[in-house]
Amino acid sequence: MTAAQATAAELTAPMATPLIRVTGLTKTLKGQDEPRPILSGVDLTLHSGESIAVLGRSGSGKSTLLSLIGLFDRADGGQYLLGEQDITRLPERKAAALRSAHFGFVFQRFFLLKHLTAAQNVAMAMVNGQGWLPRRKRKARALAALDQMGIAHLAKHKPPRLSGGEQQRVAIARALVREPKILLADEPTGALDTDTGNIVVEALRSATDRGCGLILVTHDHDHAAKMQRVLHLDHGVLSPMEVGR
Amino acid sequence: MKPFSGRFRSALIIGGQGIRARKLRTFLSMISLFLGVLGVVAAQAGQVIAHRALVASTELTMGVDGTRQIYVSSQENVGDMVMETAKGRPDVVAMLATNAIIGEPKVRPVNEGGMAVDGSSGGYGGPMLECDEFGNCVNPNEGLPMGQAVELRVVALTADVRQFRPLRLQSGQWVDFASAPSLAPRLVLNKAAAEAFSMYHVPAEMRFTGSTANSTPRFVGVVDDGVGSPQAYVRSDELLNWMPVDALSNPMFGGPEILAAPTATDFIETLRKKLVGLGGRAEDVYVNEIYAADRMPMELDLMRWVFLGVSILVLLIGSAGILNVGLATVGERIEEFALRRAVGTPRLLLAGIVLAETLLTGLLTALAAIGVGIAGLAAAGRVFGDRQPMLQGVAFPWEAGVAGVAAGLIAGVLGGLVPAARAARIPIATVMRA
Repeated sequence: MTAAQATAAELTAPMATPLIRVTGLTKTLKGQDEPRPILSGVDLTLHSGESIAVLGRSGSGKSTLLSLIGLFDRADGGQYLLGEQDITRLPERKAAALRSAHFGFVFQRFFLLKHLTAAQNVAMAMVNGQGWLPRRKRKARALAALDQMGIAHLAKHKPPRLSGGEQQRVAIARALVREPKILLADEPTGALDTDTGNIVVEALRSATDRGCGLILVTHDHDHAAKMQRVLHLDHGVLSPMEVGR
Repeated sequence: MKPFSGRFRSALIIGGQGIRARKLRTFLSMISLFLGVLGVVAAQAGQVIAHRALVASTELTMGVDGTRQIYVSSQENVGDMVMETAKGRPDVVAMLATNAIIGEPKVRPVNEGGMAVDGSSGGYGGPMLECDEFGNCVNPNEGLPMGQAVELRVVALTADVRQFRPLRLQSGQWVDFASAPSLAPRLVLNKAAAEAFSMYHVPAEMRFTGSTANSTPRFVGVVDDGVGSPQAYVRSDELLNWMPVDALSNPMFGGPEILAAPTATDFIETLRKKLVGLGGRAEDVYVNEIYAADRMPMELDLMRWVFLGVSILVLLIGSAGILNVGLATVGERIEEFALRRAVGTPRLLLAGIVLAETLLTGLLTALAAIGVGIAGLAAAGRVFGDRQPMLQGVAFPWEAGVAGVAAGLIAGVLGGLVPAARAARIPIATVMRA
């Protein structure tokens, strides 16, 4: 068994039917300067109910990896399987449909729309042209998602009236309202204090109790330690990492 | 249908949210567009109203579109022949005209020649001469003193002419063709005649050119016939009680005029044959089909194009306003659009959302402009209606409404296309790296 094969084997958890399986993923950023390789052969498998933390220094490619997994961008090489389906080369229209059906996203900045209430911000994820839910059902699901986050009482509040932690929980409710199979969180606690960050991470982790797979990109080792597996991205390659719990 | 419906509704909801979130900006972008759409609405409404007024005038004085206007060359017994041929046919009206003076006996009328009593229009403007077969003419009023009498043109009808010329009843009743003819001719005056008789209340005696005796007329109604000089309508059989047909078909008053439905081709053929029987030529029956568009003055057409040109120019400026605001708005909403793409909104729908917003803006602006147009027209009718009869009781033309909505939507599309394309190209990674 080669070293690469061993790494891949280590990264693959011993559970059946992975939600996603990424093999040898590469990505090079092409700007005005010389092309810069960001990912140079990433292997990753995520199962239902599993939580993974990805650590790494700034600029190591964590967000790029997440954007490839979340179908925001397309990899230069490698293979990406969603269940049994190869989605490495997917047209944008189908990628949008998959994002809507399978993925939920939480970002460092909350990206709540200021002119909408908390409930409307959650409901906006259901007004995306992928199917149609009547207004009453949208409202009920948005309120249920806010209730899961413990902030149903803030449903009619607009973002400027919410604290950072509350805003991030609204963003998580938005990510969960379509009941995604995979939750991708890109430094969701980066703008929050420690206590609020803990609440947010717990809210994210609790989603895995319902069978959702979670990939959390973070700089915080304490938060990473709350995930089932911790991976470290360095020089474009993912490797397992031990974090004190 | 359902996926499209979902997308369409999504676009409308998100577009509506976008407009509500930027009320002031939307309002500002609407102002310039409003003027453009109002220009289009005004141009279209003005053109339609002017055209309708023209058509209405043509219908009153000539006939409705499709009517066959038939003239027969004057010659002996033609009047009698025409009246006989037209008699009893509901699809044909033969008209013969003569001049009459109604008022005090043995006086010169106040409007010799039958012109308007205020001298504004119509009529011959001089005494109506009576001529013999050798062309020797005399003025029958010569030597008579000026008195309380009005000269007018009397049109004798074989049937109801309103099927061809929609004369508008102003008061009283129209000529009754159903009852037995009356010995005292029942006249329906036009407005100019009614005005003349309201100024000169005169004893009722009517003398015709060529009549065998003077009769006592009865005024039964007043119509608007679009003619500026005094004129009256009467049943031909009531008039012919007092004068021979030959007197009516006197070339001095023009030959008989006939209006016929497009289906009355057999009548024209019969007329031609009878004219040949009288020694005339079949070609002397002239048939003209009335078509109002033929009478559209070039000035009206030119005015329409000038208005339209100015409106398009202003509309383009309005579109540029929407485009400017749209581009600025897209720049501000990069994160929102990236987020919407992240939650699964397709590129095409994002473009649709931006377009929906500009289209909604255009539509709302168009509705506002149409509303102002309707109110403006109503106000103009109230203020200027007395001086401009074409504005009296005029309804806002639906064509102007359609043009306004179309203009608003076109401006929305023109102003929204570029911002929509930009919105669709925003990369989702924007939110990842923010």
